Amino acid sequence: MKKISIKKIWKTIVGDKQLLAGVIGLIVLLILALAAPVFATEDPYHFGKDMLVGLGENGHILGTNHMGQDVYSMIIYGIRTSLRVAVISALISGALGVLIGGVGGFFGGKVDTFVSELINVFMMLPSFFLILLIVAMFGNSITNVMIVIGITTWPSNAKLMRAQALSLRERVFVKSARAMGETKRQILFKYIIPNGIFPVIANTTMGMSNAILTEAGLSFLGLGDPGIISWGQMIYTGKQYITSAWWISAFAGVAIVITVLVFYLLGDGLNHVLDPKYSKKRG
Amino acid sequence: MKKFVIRRALTGILTIIIVFALNFVIIQMAPGDPITTLMGKENNSPEMRAALEEKYGLDKPLPMQLVSYLQTAMKGDLGTSIIYNRPVSEMIGEKVGATVLLGLTAALLAAVIGTIMGIFAARRQGGAYDAVSSGVSYAFNSMPAFWLGLMLIILFSSILGWFPSYGMTDNRASYTGMAYVADVLKHMFLPVLTLTLVLIPQYFRIAKSSVLQTSNEDFITTLRATGMSEKKIFNKYIFRNAILPTITIFGISMAYLITGVTLIEIVFAWPGMGRLMMTAITQRDYPTLMGIYLIMSISVAVVMLIVDIVYAMLDPRIRYE
Amino acid sequence: MEKLLTLENVNVSYVNKEKKVYAVRNVSFSIEKGDSLGIVGESGSGKSTLAMALLRLHNENLTEITGKALFSGKNLLEITQEEMNELRWQDISVVFQKAMNALSPVHRIGEQVEDIYHIHVPQASKKEIEERMIKLLKLVNLPERVYRLYPHEMSGGMLQRVAIAVSLLHDPKLVIFDEATTALDVVTQGQILEEVVQMEKEMDMTRIMITHDMSVVAASCNKVAVLYAGELMEVGYVKDIFKNPMHPYTQGLLNSFPSLKGECEVLHAIPGFLPDLSKPSEGCIFAPRCPHADDRCRREKPVQQTMKDTRQVACWLHQGGEENE
Repeated sequence: MKKISIKKIWKTIVGDKQLLAGVIGLIVLLILALAAPVFATEDPYHFGKDMLVGLGENGHILGTNHMGQDVYSMIIYGIRTSLRVAVISALISGALGVLIGGVGGFFGGKVDTFVSELINVFMMLPSFFLILLIVAMFGNSITNVMIVIGITTWPSNAKLMRAQALSLRERVFVKSARAMGETKRQILFKYIIPNGIFPVIANTTMGMSNAILTEAGLSFLGLGDPGIISWGQMIYTGKQYITSAWWISAFAGVAIVITVLVFYLLGDGLNHVLDPKYSKKRG
Repeated sequence: MKKFVIRRALTGILTIIIVFALNFVIIQMAPGDPITTLMGKENNSPEMRAALEEKYGLDKPLPMQLVSYLQTAMKGDLGTSIIYNRPVSEMIGEKVGATVLLGLTAALLAAVIGTIMGIFAARRQGGAYDAVSSGVSYAFNSMPAFWLGLMLIILFSSILGWFPSYGMTDNRASYTGMAYVADVLKHMFLPVLTLTLVLIPQYFRIAKSSVLQTSNEDFITTLRATGMSEKKIFNKYIFRNAILPTITIFGISMAYLITGVTLIEIVFAWPGMGRLMMTAITQRDYPTLMGIYLIMSISVAVVMLIVDIVYAMLDPRIRYE
Repeated sequence: MEKLLTLENVNVSYVNKEKKVYAVRNVSFSIEKGDSLGIVGESGSGKSTLAMALLRLHNENLTEITGKALFSGKNLLEITQEEMNELRWQDISVVFQKAMNALSPVHRIGEQVEDIYHIHVPQASKKEIEERMIKLLKLVNLPERVYRLYPHEMSGGMLQRVAIAVSLLHDPKLVIFDEATTALDVVTQGQILEEVVQMEKEMDMTRIMITHDMSVVAASCNKVAVLYAGELMEVGYVKDIFKNPMHPYTQGLLNSFPSLKGECEVLHAIPGFLPDLSKPSEGCIFAPRCPHADDRCRREKPVQQTMKDTRQVACWLHQGGEENE
């Protein structure tokens, strides 16, 4: 494997505008999430006396909701929820995709026929409704939500990994490893997955955006975790007050747009950087 | 071509069977026993319990249960709503028209507008129009449709008062004929606008990238070498080759579209399946919820099959290896 | 003989924000009617760049061109695209390397041929065009039904033949083959070259054959121009140059390809790499890799010397005119 120096990573990031924007955005989000108590003006779980107060009134930068919670502080704390959902569900989805796709592409034959048919079928299913059904029946804790998003969104990752494994299988270093008597499992984990994982990483980053949107959608249907603060739920509760206290929904939505955008930019940027087809232009 | 269609149809059928199987597994695995799930917690009638047990063969081993579940479902029997005590299929049947009206209108509008915008962006690649439209497309792609809907309500209903934000018709007036159509169109405007806006980015992106890609193909260089005008090269050769991926996207985005439509219906209180779903969620009406999931999955599978067949007719290269 | 195309000091450079790449430098040679000239060189020698410039298919925003390429009294490098369009396909046509992508995959061959034919003869009837194309298809040994096929329904060799037939639609004066047989297997390549040579005998055709393969030149050309790093090393009749290559680079090239007569020889690769084309060169461009190079070669650019009227070589070893003959 190539050795990657920090200098080189830095150069790559600065070289791609989208990646640079994504990385900066991610760093800002991480700082806000980690130091949420510093940035928040109030405890977002505190039900204050000021209900449905407008922008800037009584020290509430973005107003309050019907329970007297400070909207600005809720948005800051909401970053934590969104990032958690994004990372954990994308990791589950990525790991499943890499394993299933890798096994299918590398082993080939009947295993592959089965895997690719499975991928085809699951790519067709509207996963949001499956997620919704499971969450509605099994309970709407945030852990459930993350796991269910993870186990229903692996097909696109599997598809990419399978294609990678199919081509890597024919490469000389894999064939020689085989000739030297390494077992199929060793080859899969030592050569196929590490060498073919890059497109999956980019796709998983895109998947994080979708996970955030899915969580928001579930919350909007009233299937969010009532024990936590999430932007989707803020939009859901704000919906009733949309004409009188628009700020409850509006700013939570802006926060979603920005966060999702950051992950899209990251994913697109990674795609440019990791896919050799992009970096080498014709000629 | 024929082989391709058969292959795709088989995958479609397999998908539908898997959806039923998934439903079955979910019922089995859900907390509480399956009968309670299907009957609702408040309902304790022993006759109904017996009837359900009989219908789904719950006294038999699991694989047999799956078979009898599939059999009933194939007959179009999707179970009975806990809340309304009516067949789920009947309830969905009443609502499906409104949903299709909304979804199809938005999908077609988005496909046409997005593709045209994408082609223009590709033709002026690197210019100001490209930069602005690509940026805007990124932003709309990141928007939850339901939130955008709420924001449009604030703007067009609360502030400007131009369009109604609620329902499909004006309940106070009972319009007929053209007045009725006009009323529906007025009510449709905001939900369709919302959906179209969030659907455009996909078509924009695919049209832009495939026009760019096709323009770099070797056969375009050949055509230039023949002295063919740029206009003809574009209108006939680039366009025809670049439009194919858009058709695929139309199929792939079906699942996304259906999700968007249901959420948008809730925002605008549009009397379609999304509304039905919302009620089912709040009332824990599981049979209805599952029925909706089944119908949605089947429709997506069918639409994707149709799209694939259309694609196969337009692309002579289609062969199934 | 009448000169069909004369190149005088042609320079082609690629320019972008960071640097300028001198892809073709000071190339001059001419082709007479009925000639078949092979332009040979390794990748990066500028041979395809030269072809694209002659066809005016290069990206005009990123390219700088100077010099002249006279074709029936017009400078191909200076005329407008409209004027060029008049010449395209009627007077100059081209066959590209990747036959698999040389035609639109979603249109039938016949439909594309009709469109191409109509550019210059808008009033031609469908039947007329079909008859013309089928005649050409026969010339390249393809059956009539090809006219109704899609590109993907044919093999690479068939497609290359179709591309050749399409290039002859209007009986052009000059056809440029840009690595046209490179992607094919050796047997098919041999067959197609034979057909092309045969066809030329029947039709009044002049051909430029761009290739990296000396054996293609040997099999199908009467003249050869050797390019190295954008500069012309040697040009002349194939029979002369193959018998007695004068430029050390030509000698190297001929040594690195097996003799057609099947004698078992040791093949020699030329040591070293192409020079950096983004720097203007001093002295002979081949000097760093040349076994005979001396101080003068590294300092001064050799002048192109004419040998025996028909042959030119740019090398200090042959400055005295015909002394080495």
